[in-house]
Amino acid sequence: MNSDTLNTLNSYSINKYKYGFVTEIDDEKPKKGLNEDTIKFISLKKNEPEWMLDWRLKAYSKWKKMKEPKWANLSFPEIDYQDIYYYSAPKGFEKKPKDLSEVDPKLIETYNKLGIPLEEQKVLAGVAVDVVFDSVSVATTYKGELEKLGIIFCSIGEAIQKHPDLIKKYLGSVIPPGDHSFSALNSAVFTDGSFVYIPEGVKCPMELSTYFRINAENTGQFERTLIIADKGSYVSYLEGCTAPKRDDNQLHAANVELIALEGAEIKYSTVQNWYPGDEDGRGGIYNFVTKRGLCAGKNSKISWTQVETGSAITWKYPSCILKGDNSIGEFYSVAITNNFQQADTGTKMTHIGKNTKSKIISKGISLGKSQNTYRGEVSFLRKADKARNYTQCDSLLVGNQCGAHTVPYIDSKNNTAVIEHEASTSKINEDQLYYCRQRGLSHEEAVSLIVNGFCKQVLQELPMEFAVEAQKLVSISLEGSVG
Amino acid sequence: MFLEIKDLSVKIENKNILKSLNLNINKGEVHAIMGPNGSGKSTLANVLAGKEDYEILNGSINFKDNDLFDLNIEERAQEGMFLAFQYPVEIPGVNITPFLHSAINSKRKRMNEEEIDNLSFAKLLKSKASDLGINIDMLKRSVNTGFSGGEKKRYEILQMSILNPDLAILDETDSGLDIDALKIVTDGVNKLKTKDNSFLIITHYQKLLDYIKPDYVHVMVNGSIVKSGGSEIAAEIEKDGFQKFQ
Amino acid sequence: MNIQDNYQKNKKNIFFSENKDIQTYREKLINIFENDRFDKKNNESLKNINLKNFFDFKYKYLISEETSVINNNQENSYSIVSVNGQCLSYKDDKIEITKILDEDYIDFSKNDIIENNDHFVNLNSLFLNSGFKILIKKNNNIKIKISNIITDDDLTIFQKNNYICEEGSSLNLIEEYENKNNSTSNILNVIKLEKNSQLNHFLIQDNSSNHNLIITTHSSVKKDSTYTQKVYNFSEGYVRNFHYSELKEANSEADLQGIFFLKDNNTSNNKTYVKHLAEDCKSNQVYKGILNDRSKATYFSNTHVDQVAQKTEGYQLSKGILLSDNASYFSKPELKIYADDVKCSHGSTIGPIDENAIFYLRSRGMSKIAATKILISSFINEELSSIDNEQMSEIIQKKLVRYLSKVK
Repeated sequence: MNSDTLNTLNSYSINKYKYGFVTEIDDEKPKKGLNEDTIKFISLKKNEPEWMLDWRLKAYSKWKKMKEPKWANLSFPEIDYQDIYYYSAPKGFEKKPKDLSEVDPKLIETYNKLGIPLEEQKVLAGVAVDVVFDSVSVATTYKGELEKLGIIFCSIGEAIQKHPDLIKKYLGSVIPPGDHSFSALNSAVFTDGSFVYIPEGVKCPMELSTYFRINAENTGQFERTLIIADKGSYVSYLEGCTAPKRDDNQLHAANVELIALEGAEIKYSTVQNWYPGDEDGRGGIYNFVTKRGLCAGKNSKISWTQVETGSAITWKYPSCILKGDNSIGEFYSVAITNNFQQADTGTKMTHIGKNTKSKIISKGISLGKSQNTYRGEVSFLRKADKARNYTQCDSLLVGNQCGAHTVPYIDSKNNTAVIEHEASTSKINEDQLYYCRQRGLSHEEAVSLIVNGFCKQVLQELPMEFAVEAQKLVSISLEGSVG
Repeated sequence: MFLEIKDLSVKIENKNILKSLNLNINKGEVHAIMGPNGSGKSTLANVLAGKEDYEILNGSINFKDNDLFDLNIEERAQEGMFLAFQYPVEIPGVNITPFLHSAINSKRKRMNEEEIDNLSFAKLLKSKASDLGINIDMLKRSVNTGFSGGEKKRYEILQMSILNPDLAILDETDSGLDIDALKIVTDGVNKLKTKDNSFLIITHYQKLLDYIKPDYVHVMVNGSIVKSGGSEIAAEIEKDGFQKFQ
Repeated sequence: MNIQDNYQKNKKNIFFSENKDIQTYREKLINIFENDRFDKKNNESLKNINLKNFFDFKYKYLISEETSVINNNQENSYSIVSVNGQCLSYKDDKIEITKILDEDYIDFSKNDIIENNDHFVNLNSLFLNSGFKILIKKNNNIKIKISNIITDDDLTIFQKNNYICEEGSSLNLIEEYENKNNSTSNILNVIKLEKNSQLNHFLIQDNSSNHNLIITTHSSVKKDSTYTQKVYNFSEGYVRNFHYSELKEANSEADLQGIFFLKDNNTSNNKTYVKHLAEDCKSNQVYKGILNDRSKATYFSNTHVDQVAQKTEGYQLSKGILLSDNASYFSKPELKIYADDVKCSHGSTIGPIDENAIFYLRSRGMSKIAATKILISSFINEELSSIDNEQMSEIIQKKLVRYLSKVK
């Protein structure tokens, strides 16, 4: 490697996380630790019906018997579940404020700093936002307009109160609480998150978006999102996340369930930028997330797009169960790791129905001393006649102290199904760098340009409003400078 | 002196490529370097552009009153040096338009000129492209990706006309071009030619020089210039080949 | 019978039982067996395996009276008949065949590539009852053909062979496994290639349905040396091909290839693993499989590139054709890369025979079955045409024709 490349690399490893500030706000927490009382406290705070508390307690008793999954290529100290707060709410949020005049100005200020203004007139045109601060949803924009179409977009807490039938029917139907220890944990202690229901035949006219923020110290965030797209409907949903800089690791264990009925389409995009820890690997979010979508009906489609740049540890496999005939699952992913970050991410495409199709495009970029693993499973079950999968996963190494790993599992039990898988790993191309620099671009600009080009296939899947943001985020993750 | 190469010796991987090479180029001049394969022509182009694989053993290069070895690749480019590559590399996913836009602005920044905005740049790019007979659709594609050999060369000339360099080095730009493409490329070069800029044209064949008239022709063999003169040398090579210079 | 009892009862017939260190090591292995939950999901060596068949076995071993033969028919060419895993000792100025020694055993037990939950390798180490060591002396160019014969039903062969190619030597090794009796062979090849040496290793596997073959190779390759392995598996019984290679010094190369043809209820498990530990090394891992009826296969491939192994080129390809709707194929092509200046890739496809191609051939007047057979042959054409030994090429062709005759 030449000296310029080294200099650029060194400048990258100085991490500057621009969302690392803390909001000084009084909060309300139960005692640390996980036990039945904690769960009862959460359920009481949320004013939940009896059946919900039972559901949580059942999940908790499952969790007690389970061990964390260990197969991922990650190393981290044992998580002490008794040293975590399971609930934290800014004071005064016993009830969700009716409008912004009831919201603490400090909170509004926080979101302005994060570039997520809560006043509707300032909000990105055509995007409705639900904002979750620690354990509670603080604001949901454009609610009225959506209601006219029969679309329900609210916090999951509110949905439990107002739409118990939908919750009872679908919550845990794609990710059973007993699936693995993180799903059991989330089911026991989830605090807030978003709920979306799109009625039959409705195309949601705007992007729905949730913004998650962890603020309080030693607090886990356990949000739960449930999206149901009824027959022939369409919705595009985007999730973003940040957290303050802290020296301790914080746990984030979300569950996201998507259900697409016949002919429905759900597009789910994530820009994950949790605090990744500092350049010595201190602090950062442990991001153990379960995301799973069920293409329940014929001709349905679920598409996951993720840009993962944050978190000290990312453990995340947005998956599709392709049950309905002709259903389609897609997964587009960019994962960038720098410094001491570790990511083990990918997807699982389970083809059950006939003529089901899936596509996986994964781009991993490793820098610094990080470890970046793609892990994906594609399986064709016996009855998945004529099913098809195409997978492409490419890794780019920038620097010689990081690792890039590819672990695909390919399982075919049907002789009419076709699977194609390609993967490559290489370093950043010196000829491309030379070419760009000969045209006058600095080394750093050239790297950022080439990496963005490498990710383009994925970035172009993001909704327009966010594609530009994501590109900047990619550059920032490389530069470590404020974009 | 605009460009002055003095006693330049260069090696790569234990192989001496350039040996005590001398070359002077003044403002407004067109120089051609001809030589057989492996004589070190492309090495000279890459050393001028600042490619890092080479080891400079001896000598100096002065460009516009700068010691060239003090400048890195992009600083040389920003100072007005342009290399039209023999094999332009493909950069998938990097769109041509923003790529060239950042390139021109990094040059303007160094020259303390105002940066050019999106709209004016798009206009400039369009007009230059149509001058060179380049389809506007091509500007939506990724840099050199999926281009034919001729398209790549034409696209190099387009970049050259946008960046408007003081010294343009054309490294075997004629190779792989049919006669029509060669005409488009050389027309582009001739349009760009003023009394303030200079060209260094590296070629294997004399044909290119039928379209671009050089002021000086140099014959390069085995890493040094063995003969210099006017365009009559090109005709001599056309007739007898490089044999007699070796 | 459980493993502990089996071992205690047959200890006296097992190699190196008097060696204290080896005894201690074996006790550790027994412990691993007793404490393992035989979790099929997370243990590559157990996938698709009927545990009872392999781990609840009756140990039986006989030293054959028929002496094994060594034939020096042409110059530099040797034919060996190994019976029940044994081979006569032999020595000339080019090669040397001896028994394996305690120290070879201990040396292998220290390898850090093969997972310690690979229960088949552990069984081999525990019950070792046969094997030999072949040394190719400096700068010799040798051809060896080994026929592996098993004499009786119900034998359980646990065999360890060592091959050493000294500096500048070259070995062309053809191994045939064609057993028709109800027995199990568990073979471990330990191969060492010294500087500037070469080994072309062909394994032709064609056992009947009642013979199980478990074959594992561990090769370590030094500077400027190349290990090439080609496996042709036509067996009707279970075959496990697990092959590991360590590229220990610069400019070395490992090429691990295999093709397998499965039918009926047969299963085959395959794995290749190349660990790059030095600069400028190359590796290839290419497996292709045809699966008919209710057959099952797995293929695990793995390229591991150490931090120092700059300028590595690693390539993997896995292809499967499923001829029947009850066949299944699992593949896991892994890349683990810790160096940045590398070119590594893998490709994997699983599917039926290309229908468009069948249609095309039928439109030219060919029957569906004939078209299918032609396309299967073309699927492995590259592997077949690269065999430069005419005699071997003929043998393989014959076996292919036999397999194709059963395809309907």
